[in-house]
Amino acid sequence: MAEYVGIDLGTTLSGLAYLKPDGNPEIVPNADGERLTHSVVFFDAHEDVKLVGSAARDGGEPDRTIFQIKRYMDDPEHLVEIDGKKWTPAEISALILSKLKRDCSKICGDITEVVITVPANFNELARKSTIAAAEMAGMKVKRLVNEPTAAAVYYAHSQGVKGRILVFDLGGGTLDTTILDVEGDTIKILTSEGARHLGGSNFDDILLDTYAEQYKKQTGAALYTDERHRRRVLQATEDSKKMLSKLQRVNDTVANDQNSGIARIDLTREGFETLIRHMLTRTVFLVEQALDSAKLKPSDIDHVVLVGGSTRIPKVKTILEKMFGKTPKSCGNVDECVALGAALFAKKSAKIQEVCNASYGTLAMVYNAKTQEEKLMNSIVIPKNTPIPCSRSQVYQTSEDNERVIEVDITQGEDEDVKFVDVIGRLTLEVPPNRPKGCEIAVTFSYDENQRVRALVVDKQSGRSKEVAVSYKGAGVLSDEELKRRSAHLRTMRIE
Amino acid sequence: MFKILKSLSKSLGGGKPAEAKPAAKAGSLLDKVNKGAPLKNEPPKSVEELCGITPKMAKDEIRAQLKLLFRRYNRSASSLDAKIRAEADKMLDAIVQVREKHFGEI
Repeated sequence: MAEYVGIDLGTTLSGLAYLKPDGNPEIVPNADGERLTHSVVFFDAHEDVKLVGSAARDGGEPDRTIFQIKRYMDDPEHLVEIDGKKWTPAEISALILSKLKRDCSKICGDITEVVITVPANFNELARKSTIAAAEMAGMKVKRLVNEPTAAAVYYAHSQGVKGRILVFDLGGGTLDTTILDVEGDTIKILTSEGARHLGGSNFDDILLDTYAEQYKKQTGAALYTDERHRRRVLQATEDSKKMLSKLQRVNDTVANDQNSGIARIDLTREGFETLIRHMLTRTVFLVEQALDSAKLKPSDIDHVVLVGGSTRIPKVKTILEKMFGKTPKSCGNVDECVALGAALFAKKSAKIQEVCNASYGTLAMVYNAKTQEEKLMNSIVIPKNTPIPCSRSQVYQTSEDNERVIEVDITQGEDEDVKFVDVIGRLTLEVPPNRPKGCEIAVTFSYDENQRVRALVVDKQSGRSKEVAVSYKGAGVLSDEELKRRSAHLRTMRIE
Repeated sequence: MFKILKSLSKSLGGGKPAEAKPAAKAGSLLDKVNKGAPLKNEPPKSVEELCGITPKMAKDEIRAQLKLLFRRYNRSASSLDAKIRAEADKMLDAIVQVREKHFGEI
């Protein structure tokens, strides 16, 4: 049995690694001989089989092929309908995880418990969906770990470095930036910032527009009119993008499927970098945000580490080098280090100090005696980046005479402006009658090492209190019974 | 300075507490009461106007404003609401344009 297993369930590629007896992690190839598996699922119309990986990506019909399901892990309304059955993002992800488990266990032994990586800014529903996917695939999730944390664990292990590290993880679908301190085996996360929908697939889409524009200019016709052909061209743009990381100039030829002729596409690295410049500027903003969150300057960073396939773009390295005044380093294969780090994390998690992924608080009318101004604000009780486990309290006052029910809105987000935070729940507490306004109410949030949050409201005068787990229980979350049923069904499926 | 508890339903003046929806955007509720309908024939705003940048602002103030806006709209860009996401994307593009204009290209 493989004791310490880590899985990188990526937007475009997924990988599984295990810890060898010598303490070093190793990637386990799938049954197709590939070290990483494309996160693509194809539902065949003729045979009762689900293809996962490059076979699914290359051959299938677009209507039956599911790409980038990870982008929808927190969307309870995103359902994929195939042959009348509606599949949730967690179920599609479970098919990918099943392929990894079935294929890799033939090499490294039975896999029952795993650490799975998620983007640093994955919200609670996305995290729950990931756990549900693993359970449906027949694996218990020991811990979820943020992708850049896993990469940093691998970097620290393989390079033997110490000091303050900034991990820049630009993958297929997301960007994560994490700053951490490393001292031997002990790792302290200082902050993580993320941008969803900013990754390699966005660059592919931009190149696709260029191809379509060029084709129209040269032939007067549309490059693609259906999803099948759009996918084929998209694959070509991805290949060109990869070549531009090695060459200054790339020539390609494309045709549509209507016999409208062939167009020649000339691309230069400089031109490509101009096309994606606005996206790269967003990555700079995110790095600055991480530095600000940790109250650090670029000169405080000892090592800049590159993770994710999109960091192969030379301009990414140039930008970071200019910003930090040092050459960024990659930890071996940028596509594999997250899975490798997750396998290490499975063993070393006790030595890794993590922080709150988000701020939690409540809505409060804040009165400033000096200015005599009153303003409805998001009052943060437990700030983001507080080392976990932790607990923090704030005392508030009731707003009305004879207030019978105290309502506490639970907010998630860093902004003071209530327009820019999420209200993720409400706690109500009945209190005795006939009391004047201004009674003290203590609100406490606790955050444990599994990123679970609890809220406690105490009426200080009466001593009455109420405590709840702050968790998403709405649409998109399966009951334990339903999870078991779907898991049993999944085990009967042919997945290749 | 003291802080008075205010739930969203009370701050909106509703008598009966509304059922809190998970991950509901506070803004979407508040916007309903705070904002009127958009003016018709309003001239399109420049990127500076969108970002609240005025000609009198010093470089440091512009930088701080852009950082604040980036933090806000980067978060909104992950919203499940396609409209909020599209607005956030538009704002992020505007923020990048203002940065390039005032601080140069990366």
